Amino acid sequence: MAPLYYEDIPLHQPLLRLTKGPMSTAHIMRWSAAMENWHRIHYDHHFATGHDKLPDVLVNGSWKQHVLVQLMKDALGRESWLWRIRFRYEKMDVAGDTVVAEATAIAKQEIDGLGFVTCRVVLRDQNNNVSTAGAAIGVIALRDGPKVPYPFVVKPDYAAMELPA
Amino acid sequence: MVTDEYAQYRGMTAPPQTAAMPLERDVIRRFVQAIMDDDPIYWSNEAASQSRFATITAPPLYPVHAFRRAPGTPDPLDSIIADPNADGTAGNDTIGFGLPPVVSPFKRLLNGGNEIEFFRSLHLGETAVVTARYADVSVKHGSSGALLLVVVESTFATEAGEMLLVNRQTLIWR
Repeated sequence: MAPLYYEDIPLHQPLLRLTKGPMSTAHIMRWSAAMENWHRIHYDHHFATGHDKLPDVLVNGSWKQHVLVQLMKDALGRESWLWRIRFRYEKMDVAGDTVVAEATAIAKQEIDGLGFVTCRVVLRDQNNNVSTAGAAIGVIALRDGPKVPYPFVVKPDYAAMELPA
Repeated sequence: MVTDEYAQYRGMTAPPQTAAMPLERDVIRRFVQAIMDDDPIYWSNEAASQSRFATITAPPLYPVHAFRRAPGTPDPLDSIIADPNADGTAGNDTIGFGLPPVVSPFKRLLNGGNEIEFFRSLHLGETAVVTARYADVSVKHGSSGALLLVVVESTFATEAGEMLLVNRQTLIWR
């Protein structure tokens, strides 16, 4: 995997789309088991639809946040660092839905020899309905600059950077 | 005089909680299969050693899920045996991490979203520690009536005290 640099990142066009699913009940159950979340709305169809009056078992919001984190890692490359992310849930996803993640760079800034890339991040279903939306700042090396420090150290020069609403 | 019945919660901090187990290779395998991220930095010694991490790590947000049930503790699924209508969340404290529940008349919970700042990943063999606090607890009045907004700020670190991430989660009670 060739490293990406700040100069390689285009603005205002999708950097990456990740597709997960269609999400079967088995996919959802696998996540519930991995994190030991036994909330029945995620694996018990009878309970989800009968007791909680949901349309089907739900894809976990906690799972969807990892898709956003992977999206930023894969969009900016392993040598980048996802510094900050903010997102809100706008719609439930249920069994049978496909989750499509997309990152679009909306701003770039060089600070202290590092590249800061602000992205819009979004999850949509197979019908293009937004289920999760937010913004993130990834830090990436300039072609002739130093590596992004790890662990990431927040310096006063960029500590006050704002994530868009 | 208007009283602020939720002021007592603001700034309240729970005692630090330590994950039951250090990060193990098989836990990462199961976790990355569940999130469907096949990146070899999470399982290949060669890929990990050539990466910035120089070792196998969990995905950056993994620590939020590191606080699973410890051996020898009560089985949360017993609640479903005792009550067939139980929702299965008994014993699940993966948001408050030891904070006492906010007592209120609001019944319906919605996840209002998260804001997360990452500093470092959890490395193989390390154990996560979390400290949670109520960053804000307040009532807002909107067009659909009153809402209780609860912001839980959870700070995750290694046992050695190296910062991993800070997660600010907004809970909306209607």
